[in-house]
Amino acid sequence: MTDRPGGPERRSWLAKASQRRRKRAALVKGIEELKMLVQATAATEEDEIGCDDAYEALDQFAEMVVRGEDPSTIMPLVQRHLDMCGNCREEFEALLRVLRAS
Amino acid sequence: MPGSERSNEQWLEELSAPGPEQERALADLRAILLAGLRKALAGWVRTSGREFHALAEDFVQETLLRILDSLGSFKGLARFTTWAHKIAIRIALTELRRRRWKDVSLDKVFEDETASMLLEDPAPDPQELADNALSVQWVLRIMAEELTEKQRQAIVAVMHGGLPAEEAARRLGTNRNALYKMIHDARLRLKNRLHREGVSVSQLLEGMGRGKR
Repeated sequence: MTDRPGGPERRSWLAKASQRRRKRAALVKGIEELKMLVQATAATEEDEIGCDDAYEALDQFAEMVVRGEDPSTIMPLVQRHLDMCGNCREEFEALLRVLRAS
Repeated sequence: MPGSERSNEQWLEELSAPGPEQERALADLRAILLAGLRKALAGWVRTSGREFHALAEDFVQETLLRILDSLGSFKGLARFTTWAHKIAIRIALTELRRRRWKDVSLDKVFEDETASMLLEDPAPDPQELADNALSVQWVLRIMAEELTEKQRQAIVAVMHGGLPAEEAARRLGTNRNALYKMIHDARLRLKNRLHREGVSVSQLLEGMGRGKR
C-alpha cells in the first residue's frame, strides 16, 4: 500500500487520486460510446432515408403495424430509419400507443 | 358526426371551408387529438390534472392550425385521424424535448473529459502504426481522419451528450433531417474506412475491449 503523506501533501495526493479516477471513468465511458458507434457503423447501409421522409410515411407505417402486417418488408427504409433514429422511434411508439388505445 | 364515422374524404371536405361544418369537424378533431395526446405523452408528462390539460390544449390548437394549413398535403395513405395524431405528436414532443433540454449547452457537453477524448485529434503513434493495432486510439484516429469536425461534434452531442437530434441540430445551426444525414454520412465513411483497412467490426470491438489506448 502506498504511504500516504500528511497535511497539504495529503490533500494534493487525494486531489490527484480523484483526478485519476475521473479520467479513468471518462475513458471507460468513452470506450463504451465508441463501441456503440462502431456497432452503429456496422449496421449502416448506403441507402438510408432521413427524418423528413420517415415522418412522411409514419402514419401509414404505424397503421400497418397495428394491423399485424410486417412493414419492415414493405417499407424497409422506414424500418431502418426507426432502428437508427431515436427521436423518430419515440414518435412512432407514441403513435402506436394512440392507435392501439383507440 | 362523431370523428370515428367520418371518412378521409368527409374530413377533408368539412375542414376545407370556413363555416358551421368546419367548426363541428374541428371540435370533433380537437377531442380526438386531446384523447390521443393523453396516450402519446404517457412517460413524458403527468397526463392528468389541469397542467396537462392546458399543455395539451396548446399542442392541439397548434396542430389544428397546421392541419388546416396543410390539408392539401394529406395523401390518404392512412386514416386522416392517424395523420392528425402524427402531427400532434410531432408538435408536442418537439416542444417537450426543447423544454427538457433548454438548459444544456453544447459547450457544457463538449467540455467534459469523455467528450474531449472523443473530439481530440490523436497524434499518430509510430508503434501503433507498426503493430497495426486495433484499439481505441486507432478508432479515434480514423474518426479524426475520416470525419469533419462538425460530424464529430454531431456524434458527440447525440451519442455522448444524449441530446435529442433536433436539440443537437438547433445548437449546431442545422435541422434534424440534415443532422441525421450528416451522421449517416459519418457512419458510412467509417464503415468504408474499415472495409478499406480490411478490419471487421468484431475484430475492432475485440481490440477495443483489450483496453489498448
